[in-house]
Amino acid sequence: MTIPDPPDVAGHSLDGTTYVITPEQNAVLCRSLGAEPAPDGKAHPVYCYIATQVGMGVSVAGLCALCDFDVDDGPMMGTCEMTYFQPLMTGQGYRVRGTVIGLTRKKSRKLGIMDLLDYTLHLDLEDGTRACTVRSSWILPRGHSDEN
Amino acid sequence: MKIEVGTVLPRLSVDFVSPETMKIWAPILEDPNPIHLDRDVVRAKGLGDRLINQGPINLGYIVNMLDAAFPGGVIETIANRFVDNVYEGDALETEARVTGIERAGDTARVTCEFGLRAKERDLVITGTATVAVPASALDDPR
Repeated sequence: MTIPDPPDVAGHSLDGTTYVITPEQNAVLCRSLGAEPAPDGKAHPVYCYIATQVGMGVSVAGLCALCDFDVDDGPMMGTCEMTYFQPLMTGQGYRVRGTVIGLTRKKSRKLGIMDLLDYTLHLDLEDGTRACTVRSSWILPRGHSDEN
Repeated sequence: MKIEVGTVLPRLSVDFVSPETMKIWAPILEDPNPIHLDRDVVRAKGLGDRLINQGPINLGYIVNMLDAAFPGGVIETIANRFVDNVYEGDALETEARVTGIERAGDTARVTCEFGLRAKERDLVITGTATVAVPASALDDPR
């Protein structure tokens, strides 16, 4: 089996919607992790990941499709780097913006050929103030090539 | 707890990774992937017999560990690698150690290395984090 080269997806916009962390959902999430929600309206910091991922302009399946990868073939979370510029608040609208950085072909002894999808997402207030940034990488296993 | 380079942070334990938590998170993540919800799908994919926890839940445990270790602190960065899956029924424990402290006026920036370990297997998440704390908290005798 010959595995085609990965498509050039660098620069693809992931700008999405406005995401609001509701107090109700934040409370459910905090309690599911064994913690009480903050009384001052601060959202659980893991929403940096959730809000960007859910609010970006494409689903995970769509993002995989952009990379010519079937989501049913099992994309894997690789790394995640979250930077907070201010606490995330419930009830606040955050505009989700982002860009695909690249799709890089790698070889792994365990997974064979794989592509590393790298992208950055941001949560911005309506006035443009940046609240947080997430840089994520996903591993897209392509299988073993006959050419190995 | 006196915070200095080498300080080991209090561990956070999760006795049992629950399928109920995965069900709660699936709509929050808008992630209908059946490997988190349907054991038959997990088996059909050759991924074992147990549901696979959503990665962000595991990240949530790390955040809770940092919040508990640094009350009044503000998380500035978290960088992590997802090393392995977490499965339903797993018992988890965090581990973390202070690797650096930078003081700037009334604030101190504390850097930590952390991991999340599945007790019967190995590390499932590794990473580093930076938390801003009041400088006075470094000598807190709690």
